[in-house]
Amino acid sequence: MKIVIAGAGEVGTHLAKMLSDEEQDITIMDTDPSKLAALDDFNLMTYVGTSVSFMDLAAVNVADADLFIACTPLEARNILACSMAGEAGAKRTVARINNSEYMIKVHRDFFKTKRIDHLIYPEYLAAQEIIQALKCTWARNWYELFNGELIIVGVKIRKNSTLVGNHLRQLGQFSNKMHVSAIKRNHETIIPTGRDVIKENDIVYIATTHDYIDDVAEMCGKKKINAKKVLVMGGGPITEQLLEFACDDYDIKVLEPDRKRCQELADKFPNAAIVFGDPRDSDFLEEEGIDDYDAFVGLLDTSEANILGCLMAKEHGISKTIAQVENLNYFNEAEALNIGTIINKKLLASSRIFQILLDSDPENSKSLALQDAEVAEFVVKEGAKIASTEVMNLGLGNNMTIAGMVRDGEGQLVTGRTRFKAGDHVVIFCLQGALREAEKKFKEHKGLLSFLE
Amino acid sequence: MFSYILQRINYTTIVRVLGWFLLIESLFLIFPAAVSLFFGEYSVMWAFVNTFIITLTAGCVMSYGFPNRFNDESMRKREAILITSTVWIVFSAFGMLPFLFSGVLTSVTDAFFETMSGFTTTGASVLCDVESLPRGIVFWRSMCQWIGGMGIILFTLAVLPMLNFKGGVTLFTSEVTGISHERITPRVSQTAKLLWGIYFTLTIVCFAALMLGPMDWFDSICHAMSTVSTGGFSTKSAGLDYWHDYYSYIVIIVFMAICGINFSLIYLIFAKRNFSLMYKNVIIRCYLAFIVVFSLVIFLRLWTMGFCDNIPESLLDSVFDTVSAITSTGFSTYNYERSGQFIFFLLLFLMFFGGMAGSTSGGAKVDRFVVTFKNLRNEIYRVINPNSVRTVRLTNNRSVPREVVDKVLAFLAIYVFVIITVAILLTAFNMPAFDAMFNSLSAISNIGFGYGEITAGASKFSNIPSVCKWVLALEMMVGRLEIFTVLAIFTRGFWIKR
Repeated sequence: MKIVIAGAGEVGTHLAKMLSDEEQDITIMDTDPSKLAALDDFNLMTYVGTSVSFMDLAAVNVADADLFIACTPLEARNILACSMAGEAGAKRTVARINNSEYMIKVHRDFFKTKRIDHLIYPEYLAAQEIIQALKCTWARNWYELFNGELIIVGVKIRKNSTLVGNHLRQLGQFSNKMHVSAIKRNHETIIPTGRDVIKENDIVYIATTHDYIDDVAEMCGKKKINAKKVLVMGGGPITEQLLEFACDDYDIKVLEPDRKRCQELADKFPNAAIVFGDPRDSDFLEEEGIDDYDAFVGLLDTSEANILGCLMAKEHGISKTIAQVENLNYFNEAEALNIGTIINKKLLASSRIFQILLDSDPENSKSLALQDAEVAEFVVKEGAKIASTEVMNLGLGNNMTIAGMVRDGEGQLVTGRTRFKAGDHVVIFCLQGALREAEKKFKEHKGLLSFLE
Repeated sequence: MFSYILQRINYTTIVRVLGWFLLIESLFLIFPAAVSLFFGEYSVMWAFVNTFIITLTAGCVMSYGFPNRFNDESMRKREAILITSTVWIVFSAFGMLPFLFSGVLTSVTDAFFETMSGFTTTGASVLCDVESLPRGIVFWRSMCQWIGGMGIILFTLAVLPMLNFKGGVTLFTSEVTGISHERITPRVSQTAKLLWGIYFTLTIVCFAALMLGPMDWFDSICHAMSTVSTGGFSTKSAGLDYWHDYYSYIVIIVFMAICGINFSLIYLIFAKRNFSLMYKNVIIRCYLAFIVVFSLVIFLRLWTMGFCDNIPESLLDSVFDTVSAITSTGFSTYNYERSGQFIFFLLLFLMFFGGMAGSTSGGAKVDRFVVTFKNLRNEIYRVINPNSVRTVRLTNNRSVPREVVDKVLAFLAIYVFVIITVAILLTAFNMPAFDAMFNSLSAISNIGFGYGEITAGASKFSNIPSVCKWVLALEMMVGRLEIFTVLAIFTRGFWIKR
C-alpha cells in the first residue's frame, strides 16, 4: 500500500518507521531536511518539501497514494494538505488536528466533502485513554470493541493472583470466560501457547466479555477502587481535553507551573481547580493535599518529570498513577517502575492509523497503544479461507492469536473448535510486523480445490 | 597495559548473507557453461560446471549452515559495511576459478586481477590474445562486467526478499555511487528492481542494435554487456577496430553515453517521459557539455596536427575516445599514446571525473566536479564580498547542504590521496612515475587503460609484478565502492571500542 506521510515530527516519524516495518511503501515529506536525515537508514523514501505545495505533492506522487497522512504540528496546514491531496487523487486522507470541535459528528460531514476522510487528534485519544484508565483503575490497558461487547485488558500480575504459576492449559476451565492473548515479560511481548506459565510481574493481556470482567479482576487479584479525586500535573493540551470530558465526573485538580497557562485554563474551565506552582516540588504537592487523592496523572512536557512525579505520588499512597511518556526508550523502564498506565501520543495515533489501514471503522473501537504489538479487527468475508476450517487448523503461527470475536453484535471468546462465519468481527492480537501477515490470512480466499469440496 | 574491547560484530550474519550472494553467483555461472557447451568447448564447460558446484556448495553451507535467526538487530552499520566490501572479494575469489580450471591463466594473482577487473567494470586485462581464448571464458569476462556494472548487491536486493528491510538499505547506500542516495521508490527492493530493469532493457536494446551491424550474436552480446556496464572488455584483441564499422561505433558511443547518466534520471526521463529534466538538471547538462566540448577540441587538435586524412572517421574517433574516457569504459579505437600528450591529458581529466553518480561508470563523478566547481566559484566571490552567503545549487529549487559540499571536497581529497599512495607503491616496483600515476588512476576510476613502456601489445597489465596486481585489484574495488565504505574498515574505531 502506498502511504504518504507529511510531517516528520514525533508522530510522523514513528508512523513511518512502524509502517515501513509492516512492508508498506512509505514516502515521508518535511520541510526540514535534518528531521528526514534521521530516517535515511530506513526502508522508505524521504522528500524535502512542504505538504501544502501542489508541486511537492505531485513530486511525492500523491495521486497514486492509498493513504495520505498529514501530521505536521499545524492543524490548518494538515487540513489543507489533506484536502489538496484528496483532490489530487489520494484514496484516503487523514489529518491530525488539535481541536475537539472538529471531532463532533455534525462537523465531520464538512470535512468529508473537503476530501478529509479521517481526523486524528492524539491529545483527545490520550485524554480518552486516561478517562478509561480512571474508570478501571485495576487495569493497565483497556481495549473495548463494539461498545464493550468485547474487552481486552492488560493487567500486571502480582503474587496474590490465582493465575500465577499456572500453565495456560490448566486455565481451561475459564476458557469460556477469558483468553490470555499475550504476555509481556522482560520488555518482550509473547503470544502464549498452552505450555506457557504466567509468572509474577508479567503483564498479561486478557480478552473477555463484559459479563466476566469482574471474574477476571478477581482472578488477577485486583480490587476495584473508585477513583474520584484526580491530581493532574501539568496543564498541556491533553489536560485540556481531559478537563473537557471528565470535569463533571471527577474532582480534578491541575497543577501548572506557568501562570499564564493557569489563567487560560481557569478561564476555560471554571469548575476545575487550577493551581499555580511547580508540581515537581514535594512540599507544594503536600500543601495541595496529595495524600487525599485517588489518582495521579503526570502530563508535563518531559517524560522524566512525569515518571518521577508518579513515583513520588506512589510514595504518598496513591494507588493509580498515569504518566505521559513520549520517549519510547523510557517506555519499558516506566512499565517496570510500576506506573499504572502509560500514555503515549505516538502509539495512540499510530494504532489508530493501523485501524484505518485495515479498513475497519476507527470510530467504533478504542485503540490499544502497545509498544510492540497491535490489536487488529477484521471482518470475515464470504468465502474467506479463514472461515473454511476450525481455528485450531488455521496455523496462525506464533506471532498472532485470535483474542475473540463479535458475532451478531455479541462478544464471544474463541476456542480451538470455533469456526468463523462470514460477517464475524474477529479481533486479532499480533506482534509488530505480523499485521500484514494477519491481513493476508483474512483477505485470502479459499483455493479452487476447497471450493470444489 | 593496554586493554582493548572489540566491537560486537555479528559474523554469522555476514557469512550468511555472503552465502546468499554466492548462490546468486552460482546461477550466473550457468550462462557461460551453456555458451561453452554451444561452442563445443567441453573442457571449459567442465571448468564452469565445477565452479558452479563449488560456488553452490559454498553458498549453501554458508547461508544455511548456521542456526541464526536473521533480523534487524543482526545487521547494523558495521555488518553492512563489511558485507559490501567482502562480497566483491568473495565474488572475485569464486569468479576467478573458471580461468584457473580451464588453464587459461595459471597464476592466482592473474586470475584474481582479471576477475576483479571484470566485476569492478575496469576492463584491465592480463590476457594478451583474446581471439585464442575459449568462447566461454570470453563470455564470462563480459558477464562479470555486466554483473558488477549495476552492482552485485543491487541485484541481490532486487531478487532476495530477505534483504528488503533496514539492513538492506545500508547495503544499498554503501554500494550505489553518488553524493546522496536518492531513491525513486519508497522500498529499496523496488528501487533495485527498477534500476536492474532499466539496465537489463538497455543491454537487450544494445544487443539488438549491434546485431544489425557486422557483429555476430556472440560478439554482440559480449559487447553489449561490456558497453552497458561501461566495462571495456572486448572479444577481440584489436577491440572494435577488428570490425571497423561506423554503425557499430555509433551504437556503442550512444549506449556508453546513456550508461554514463544516472539511472534514476534515465528512468524519470524515458519511463516517466519527463524530458525537460534533460536540460533542467545541471549535472546532465555538464556531462553532455563535456562530451561535446572535449570531442570538438580533440577533433580540432587532430585536424591542426594533420592527423586527419579521413574527416568523418577522425570525428567519430574523437567522440568515441571522449565518451569512452568519460564513462570509464576504456574501449579504444586507436593508440591513444601516439596521438600526443595534449589529447592524452584531456582524456585524463575526463577519466578522473568520469560519468554521473548512480550510473555504471567509474571515476570521481561529474556530480562532484559540479559541486566543487560551484563551491569554488562561491569562494572566489567571497574574496571580494567576504560576508556574502551563497549556496551551491544543482537544481533550480534545491541547494546542496554545507555538509554535503564538505563531504564532496573530502572525497576528492581522499581520491587523489589514494591515487598517489598507490602510485608511490607502484614506483617501488620500478614502474616509471607517470606510468604509475596513470595506472593508479586507471584502476581507481575503473577505466582499464594501461600505460607504460614495460607493456607490449594489447595487454598492458600482464608484465607488472604480482604485488602490484594485488594492489591495483584492491584499488579497483576501493574505487568502485567510492572509497569511504572500504576505508572505514581500516579505521581503529571500526573494530575497537576503546
